[in-house]
Amino acid sequence: MTAVSKISRRDFVETTAAGAGLVVATAAPIAAAEAPTAPRSNIHLTVNGVEHHTEVEDRWTLAELLRDHLSLTGTKIGCDRGECGACTVLLDGKPVYSCSYLAVWADGHAIQTVEGLAQKDRLHPLQEAFIEHDGPQCGFCTAGQLMSARALLYRNPHPTADEVRAALSGNICRCSNYNRYVEAVLAAAGRKA
Amino acid sequence: MNTLKSVGHATQRIDAVKRVTGTATYTGDVHLPGMLYARVLRSPHPHARIRRIDTSKASALAGVKAIITSENCRVIWSTGDSKNKRYLFNNPVRFAGDAVAAIAATDRHIAEEAMRLIDVDYEVLPFVLDPEEALAPGAVEIQPGGNLSPNSRNERQPDIYRRGNVDALRTADRVFEDRYTSVHLNNAQLEPRVSVAHWEGPKLTVYASTQGISNCRTDIARDLQLKPENVRVICQFMGGGFGNKNQCHDFDLMAAVLAKNSGAPVKLEFTRKEDFVAVHGRWPTKQYYKVGVNRDGTLAAIQLRGYCGMGPYRKGAGGIAGTELYQCPNVETMVHPVYTNMAVSANYRGPAYPQGVFGIESLMDHIANELKIDPLEFRLKNLTRKYRDAIPYTSNGLVDCIRRGAEAIDWKKRWHSAGAGAGPLKRGVGLAMGCFSSSLGRSSAVIDLDSRGRYTLHVGVTDCGTGAKTTMAMIAAEELGVPLNQIEVVWGDTDHCPYSVGESGSRTTNYTGWAVIQAAQDLKRQVAEKGAPKGSDILTASASPEPAIKDATRYSFAAHFVEVEVDIETGRVGVLKYVAAHDSGRIINPLTATSQVKGGATMGIGMALHEELLYDRKSGLPLNAGYYGARVMTHRDAPEIDVIFVETEDAYGPFGAKTIGEPPIIPSVAAIANAIFNATGRRIKDLPITRDKILGALA
Repeated sequence: MTAVSKISRRDFVETTAAGAGLVVATAAPIAAAEAPTAPRSNIHLTVNGVEHHTEVEDRWTLAELLRDHLSLTGTKIGCDRGECGACTVLLDGKPVYSCSYLAVWADGHAIQTVEGLAQKDRLHPLQEAFIEHDGPQCGFCTAGQLMSARALLYRNPHPTADEVRAALSGNICRCSNYNRYVEAVLAAAGRKA
Repeated sequence: MNTLKSVGHATQRIDAVKRVTGTATYTGDVHLPGMLYARVLRSPHPHARIRRIDTSKASALAGVKAIITSENCRVIWSTGDSKNKRYLFNNPVRFAGDAVAAIAATDRHIAEEAMRLIDVDYEVLPFVLDPEEALAPGAVEIQPGGNLSPNSRNERQPDIYRRGNVDALRTADRVFEDRYTSVHLNNAQLEPRVSVAHWEGPKLTVYASTQGISNCRTDIARDLQLKPENVRVICQFMGGGFGNKNQCHDFDLMAAVLAKNSGAPVKLEFTRKEDFVAVHGRWPTKQYYKVGVNRDGTLAAIQLRGYCGMGPYRKGAGGIAGTELYQCPNVETMVHPVYTNMAVSANYRGPAYPQGVFGIESLMDHIANELKIDPLEFRLKNLTRKYRDAIPYTSNGLVDCIRRGAEAIDWKKRWHSAGAGAGPLKRGVGLAMGCFSSSLGRSSAVIDLDSRGRYTLHVGVTDCGTGAKTTMAMIAAEELGVPLNQIEVVWGDTDHCPYSVGESGSRTTNYTGWAVIQAAQDLKRQVAEKGAPKGSDILTASASPEPAIKDATRYSFAAHFVEVEVDIETGRVGVLKYVAAHDSGRIINPLTATSQVKGGATMGIGMALHEELLYDRKSGLPLNAGYYGARVMTHRDAPEIDVIFVETEDAYGPFGAKTIGEPPIIPSVAAIANAIFNATGRRIKDLPITRDKILGALA
């Protein structure tokens, strides 16, 4: 039942860093050495176009994998129970709450996070519009708002304001800058046309 | 016309790219080598004595590195209670959620497993939730000395304010008596509670999520008996607080103690449920008013007897504010801060105002209706011209806020007699006023200039979402006469920033803004005297002004107008149009200030219509902790908020600025309530105004 750990922490870090073709800033620890009881599985997933072969604990959420083990901390955890949307990422282009999605379920899938929106130094039009329209106040919900908006524009490049509100309704902004986020998404959609 | 180059121009946040690319480092994103994860075990009872805590099984779990409880950790959390000794772990526990133990382990799942292995033997005690019941004879005593918490003079008396003599109620032409209530609701900022503590010899570094790094450092040093210079507090990006991240918190101290005991850095995280029940929310109130009115429609007397449920610890001041919105010669307010076994209550945006203004502005609306006076005219007749009728304001744009707001919503056309309209969709308009102190005081700033003409501004702000980093840079650019992009800002680190007042009470723009101006003036003087720096030279200027106001008082003002549509078959309230008019003096950055107003007004709509932390009266347990249960505002609920700035001249503020962060939530709750009354002819006096209450009132 228990998958045997075959990848050491060093292997894990090197795999992800090499696969990413970039420097992994802070390689997060896998604290398994002293607590070998948690079942583990090997998975293969693509994150922002980069392939990862990695071993995960079966109890890890996708948010946990991204934040604590792949150093992609742009995805935020606001509630860890599928209520606030701060952890929204795209799974094969569709928005999911990564706090409520197990890492093992992502096996074989493509994940996109906020870190994957900009292309090299060029911001995505949504990011530009979020800045121009002052979308982020505290900024903690912003990654989730961006990813829900990204998913919307994939399936509906020219949404109405009501369609934007519906698509982003699972993303709470307690600063309550809702007007700004809707304006920004509409502006970005216009720009794409 | 704005002749300034930076101030008054809509300006994108200087840290905006980081906020949209996921590269902004919030406290929870901090990761240190060898870091442990910590969790807190909490009381499942609203009131209980702990007979015994057995941590042996938890300690034996592989990966557990430190456990602290009331038995081995006696640290006092001084900002957790201004009147009693509140320890990090208290015995007895006094609310469902009071901390019992904290555990550090090599990962968070192990810490959670260890929590389940701690065995606590509780002697369950009786509890009380309601503040008036808590004051009744024979009520269970929550703190030694009784449940009436000491007032601001530390007497076991209510806080009393008196002016004139409310005996005038006896001779008033008409007297109106009414009761309004508000409930406990949570700040519910998106960023959960987290703290990362790390010791290097005697030096403690805390990565905190705080609205004020300087105060946080002072608090930690005091409570852990360290020299302030041995404490470093870092907060680079902050995911909201709305008043519940003002000082150091128990989890900052717990993380520090766990890190000390385990010899490793510790990250302590709260769950969202803990955030809702174990930190603090807005204090619930009961407000009993008597208002006397003269034949000409002016006010003869206002009397308020009020009760605030503070939870079992006195973390917040309490209070019920709003009567100062009215000119009235005879006023008496008597407010009782009371201990209860509910979640702790303390600051949440506009602390004492939104609930108090809901009471007084609902009642004034009721009086206008009874006197058959347009509520707008009634307010113009009675609104404050001088603070408490005696002290002049440095500026007062309240009348202009009302005039311009009324114009924007087309008040004359849309206001009608209450409940008119056929239904089932009934429309109505409402308005309410608000005010908030715009004080001045001590803060600091440092500016460096190098030989390449780069200015580095050091300010101790964390920017909880208000845009403070950008505002401070704009003020510096303006005063120095250079473009904004020549200013680099260093923020959020007590080792690199001077004292700053903290982003609470809407104080940063006014307090720290003045410090920035004076540091810039000093720098210009130095350049004039010594010339620009050459080579590796750096010119440094600093300022720590403590401006004061003579013979006057400073306030920001606002008037909100709203049109609602109430479905009398379902009780659903839809907001059709919302206008928020604000006198906050000169607006430094119209882009971010507008966002503040939109956000604050929207939060107030949630407070008016849905939000409440519900308690089971039988068990004393909270029932709906979390976003879904609390029903905070979402994209679907949020209407378009039209923002108007009435930019009064106020020479006391930096470039004439007054406060903006706290005020927008203040009038919005009452404005919604008054619009519902205008639409339906029914006055709901108990927040939140949920559908069932509307249907009940219409039945």
